[in-house]
Amino acid sequence: MDTGPALVSILRQGSYLIASVHTALDDSQMVRFQQDLIEQIGQHRSRGVIIDVAALDVLDSFGSKTLRNISEMARLRGATTVIVGIQPDVAFAMVALGMSTGSVPTALDLEEGLAYLHDRVHTGPSAVTGSSLS
Amino acid sequence: MSAGQPADALSESGSQSDVAALVPVIRRFVHSRVSNEAVADDIVQETLVRMLAAAGRVEPGMVEPYAIITARNLIASMWKEQERHRRNQHRIVDLRSPESPDEGLLQQEDKGAVAEALERLSERDRRTLMAHEVAGQDTQSLAGELGVTAGAVAAQLNRSRARLRVEYLLALEPGTALTDRCRPVLFALSGGDRRRQREVDAARHLLECDLCEKLSQPLLERGQRSDGEVRIRIRADADIVLARQTAREVAARLEFSRTDLTVIATAVSEIARNVVRFTDGGEVVVELLEEPRRGVRIVARDTGPGIADVEAALVDGYSTYHGLGLGLPGARRLMDEFAVVSEMGRGTTVTMTKWRQEG
Repeated sequence: MDTGPALVSILRQGSYLIASVHTALDDSQMVRFQQDLIEQIGQHRSRGVIIDVAALDVLDSFGSKTLRNISEMARLRGATTVIVGIQPDVAFAMVALGMSTGSVPTALDLEEGLAYLHDRVHTGPSAVTGSSLS
Repeated sequence: MSAGQPADALSESGSQSDVAALVPVIRRFVHSRVSNEAVADDIVQETLVRMLAAAGRVEPGMVEPYAIITARNLIASMWKEQERHRRNQHRIVDLRSPESPDEGLLQQEDKGAVAEALERLSERDRRTLMAHEVAGQDTQSLAGELGVTAGAVAAQLNRSRARLRVEYLLALEPGTALTDRCRPVLFALSGGDRRRQREVDAARHLLECDLCEKLSQPLLERGQRSDGEVRIRIRADADIVLARQTAREVAARLEFSRTDLTVIATAVSEIARNVVRFTDGGEVVVELLEEPRRGVRIVARDTGPGIADVEAALVDGYSTYHGLGLGLPGARRLMDEFAVVSEMGRGTTVTMTKWRQEG
């Protein structure tokens, strides 16, 4: 269906998946991204997922909700999700909109995200239960 | 060669045999240079003819070199000819399309449409227009005749032209049913009168009426479209992204801050999504404002079912699908001004404005 460059890349890094969004996604692309990611978590038996949204132009209600859904589904599949790269103006607009990523952990950038996962995943899954989705 | 008499005939037959002896030499020479058999044979023949003609003039020992030079010249001039032909070939092609058989008919139809359109104008409008356009009478003298100012005549002429354009387009679409709203909307569009267009709610009518939508294309094209206004058709998911990116681009011309641009894009994303989710189509219009302050106004119109309870829809968490119910209230929080007008069965119009923070 789409022949252009990849909108999203999902790369494996050890027991983690690093998913980078490369451009603005519309709703159906967002949903496909969600499906692909959840599928790959199972395939690669990943323990942690980093979603890099630095290239997203906006995170509106649908985008935020999808990220929360991904996080919750990943949690049910035994993986911890952390979102990185939310731009300052996107953060501002999200707050003004009344939107948040809920209890989904976030980190400033990829490095922080990896450090976060390292702490969580390697101290055992019990440590993750602290986060619950409201 | 008047000397074709018996005395010469002898010597000529002698030279003829000389020439005949040349044939293999000439053939070899020509065939080694020209690959096409038929062409080569032609050149050999031509060379022989020339040799026969020149036989009397050529010194006995020089016949063979003379023949070879002749053949070479013939080949060279053939190549030159071919090259010239190749270079000029494009000139032969006539790129004008031939007059198609329906052209006359179309012209006749066109004439009929113009006549019919003129017919629909009021007597006074028609007379003034004809006097100005056909007879070349200027507005000044027309004003004198009609007892009004030249400016009024010019305005009237403008209105007549606008009407004429509409009537002409309508005359080309015979047998279509017009609603009582079509003409006023088309007149307003044709005249390029923004205030009048708003009065008759032209934008909404174009969403609802396919005929006017179609006719409005040529009418709007000729008018000077202000580049401070961009219209995006909303039908599918991808249009949401297009709408918010367009809004961002247009607003960026006013040097909004990056944050404000993202805020505007987010609000557009929310309301455009409502159009995609709940209706079968609509549009988002992004417009730059200079008065009373600089800002950007975004109008989203759809032809959906309408919102039964606008007040309730503006409260957080009101959602009719599995959303978060943040669409309208969220967009309202993001923008400076926000208004929703909804009519059941006809559609919804969301108008929102973001002012530029000065200084």
